[in-house]
Amino acid sequence: MSELEIPEITIPVGPQHPALHEPENFTFKVDGEYVVDVEARIGYNHRGIEKAAESRSYIQNLYLFERVCGICSHAHTTAFTLNIEELLDTPKPPRAQYISMIVAELERIHSHTLWAGVAGHEIGFHSFFMYLWRDREVVMDLLEAVSGNRVHYAVNTIGGVRRDITPEVEKKLRKGMDILEERLKTYRTLALEEPTLIKRCEGVGVLKPEDARRLCAVGPTLRASGIKHDVRANDPYLAYDEIDWEVVSYDLCDVLSRILVRIDEALQSVYIIRQALDKLPDGPYKVRVPRNVPEGESVMRVEAQRGELIHYVRSNGTDRPDRYKIRSPTLGNIPAVCHILKGGYIADIPIVLASIDPCFSCTDRMAFVDVNTGKKWVWTGEQLRRYARKWRG
Amino acid sequence: MALEPELLKSLSSKPVTLVYPFERPEVPKGLRGELKWDPERCVGCGICVRDCPAFALEFVGEKEEAELIWHAERCIFCAQCAESCPRDAIELTQEFELSTTNYSTLTIRFARPKK
Amino acid sequence: MAGLVGSAYTVAVYGLALIVVVGILSLFFEWFDRKAFARLQNRYGPLHTGPSGLLQPLADFIKLLSKEDITPEAADKLLFALSPVVICTIPLLTLFFIPVFSKEAIVFFEGDLIFALFLATLLYLFVFIAAWSSTNPFSIVGGVRAALQLMSYEIPLALALIVPAMFAKSLSITTIAKWFETSFQPYALVPLALAFFIAVVCAQAELERVPFDIPEAESEIVAGWQTEFSGRKLALLRLASDIELVLMAALIATLFFGGAAGPWLPPFAWFLIKTTIVVFVFANIRALFARFRIDQLLRGAWGILLPLSMLNVFVAYVLMQMM
Repeated sequence: MSELEIPEITIPVGPQHPALHEPENFTFKVDGEYVVDVEARIGYNHRGIEKAAESRSYIQNLYLFERVCGICSHAHTTAFTLNIEELLDTPKPPRAQYISMIVAELERIHSHTLWAGVAGHEIGFHSFFMYLWRDREVVMDLLEAVSGNRVHYAVNTIGGVRRDITPEVEKKLRKGMDILEERLKTYRTLALEEPTLIKRCEGVGVLKPEDARRLCAVGPTLRASGIKHDVRANDPYLAYDEIDWEVVSYDLCDVLSRILVRIDEALQSVYIIRQALDKLPDGPYKVRVPRNVPEGESVMRVEAQRGELIHYVRSNGTDRPDRYKIRSPTLGNIPAVCHILKGGYIADIPIVLASIDPCFSCTDRMAFVDVNTGKKWVWTGEQLRRYARKWRG
Repeated sequence: MALEPELLKSLSSKPVTLVYPFERPEVPKGLRGELKWDPERCVGCGICVRDCPAFALEFVGEKEEAELIWHAERCIFCAQCAESCPRDAIELTQEFELSTTNYSTLTIRFARPKK
Repeated sequence: MAGLVGSAYTVAVYGLALIVVVGILSLFFEWFDRKAFARLQNRYGPLHTGPSGLLQPLADFIKLLSKEDITPEAADKLLFALSPVVICTIPLLTLFFIPVFSKEAIVFFEGDLIFALFLATLLYLFVFIAAWSSTNPFSIVGGVRAALQLMSYEIPLALALIVPAMFAKSLSITTIAKWFETSFQPYALVPLALAFFIAVVCAQAELERVPFDIPEAESEIVAGWQTEFSGRKLALLRLASDIELVLMAALIATLFFGGAAGPWLPPFAWFLIKTTIVVFVFANIRALFARFRIDQLLRGAWGILLPLSMLNVFVAYVLMQMM
């Protein structure tokens, strides 16, 4: 192509672009239909959540962290409450652990079906999108029945969960699981049989296992590269070690593999929920905890839908945290996605970008603004480290 | 091609969409909707105001005389107030159609009946 | 011209009537397409404007007319303003060669099929000009894609449309439509069916619809070559794509099902029924597939469709010699 001397065109994708649901900027240098180089710029969505957490009590922070991200709202509160319970040395009662796990898996089904629908949209498969989102309503209604809200469930609380699962809701859940299992199996067959979908996804955005490891990919992106890593299995929290389930992984390493991993994972979630309902222990679902948290530090890893989520807290004996830090899964996947976008087609940008299930509202926590001059900039990790060393003296 | 049976099935069945204002969804029992305050039970301790993550509650007056102001436009419907209340004076009902074109109607002051 | 219906006066009257009818039909078919597409996906589609949302396309059109019309600073002002008008006119002009009201088109002569195909190609020249004149990276990529797409589907489409012409021994659309009524031979069914299949596939590419909506792939390049158009110009472009839908549906209905020809009912009714069925087939295809990539389209068109259509022409020729 280059002999024809086609001028190099730079295509901006984002901050506002139909393929991205959230403001983020990727600048592509293209040569004809090929992508030559990618530059990612994050930070459009910085909301100061970590700082806000320091001025709110733990109870209030429960709802603040739920709003780090709408889709992984339960994952964030799980990590938060487990952290605080660790500091308080009062774990959730067994029944609460199961209920929290059921909601987490419901949320995983909702997130994965949502994502698969979006993936369909990115490759122009409108019906796939519509059907998946129609069937996602089943799980949304279940979440509403369990928690009282469709998106911000607010089920976790420090010292347990806020709501019990009544026999009536349990019946609904079991019925819903049967529908979902049947539908998810249909979509897996569809993803394996629909020729246009396979043509667009097979061999696209290949992330080799060694690259996945080197670039620290997380979650379904990592598992789609054939690496069986899942915090739920490797470092079980809640009651995941008492349940019989499998870590899903595919080794095609491409977008198709990421679709299959997510559909299969949603199916695994259905099995987990069924078992959890069978094994649901009796007893209280909440214990009373003091408002003030003793001094200490805690780190918690949780497998959110998009990958490994890390929460860190430092408390100082009051009812407010001294420092709170969140590492969301999308941040871990950005180097990987920049790597796999290079050398691909323009037409594949949306689906490859979407294949990591990016969530930028979770990610953006690092932008620098000089209040006096209004200058804004973004630092690399190295610059940040140097700056930190300088200030520590 | 694999989707064709699904498509034909949909063509012959009723669309799944609810034509909302004319058809209403069934609301589950535990839905967190409009806030209700019971002045008989409230002792004005102010725990709800302290715990509200959205700063949507406000007390006017002291102790037993206190009256609650609910800023519905700030409320995130988490129901922490209902949970924190030691006397169960706050309850979130299933009423969810709270949208309005008049901003000022969203600040609701609950009155205490005169003794 | 060889076969005008009558005097210049009747042509003018019929022509005006056709323009009005095509205007209404294009909006109707947009509604029908959207409705069928929605129902196939278990949705309602347009619902509130007019009975069952029938007036929704008209409402959209009027709304767009009243919107602000922005011309980019860097754009070639003349071409940018002119191209929507031309893109809207060309398919309308082509419809003059297709029998709509009676069993004869308003204008017909030996070779009008070739002329119609030429106009369809010309259309994409103006699409490319529209893209280039708006000087937006998304538009340019969309325009280049549209041009590439044209190169891929044009020859198979022409070869597919030639098959009924071979059987009817005429290059006039009107004569071919008449042949279906008067001297249709059952042995022609197999090549015609294959040609119909190829023509439908190519029509999706011509209309820029899924699976070949590559030049305006929303999630990739925003609105493709239409990105910079707004207000009246966008309204015209949308109308143009609706008229194109009418054109392709009418062309396929006429060349493969005889169009306005048919017993009992008046010709216009037959025309309407057949084109509506073709539009439904289009809507179904739109719901059934994901979008191809441009390289996949080129490979498929040159590697599969072209040999297939050439073989089909050959088979049709052999059959004609044998029978």
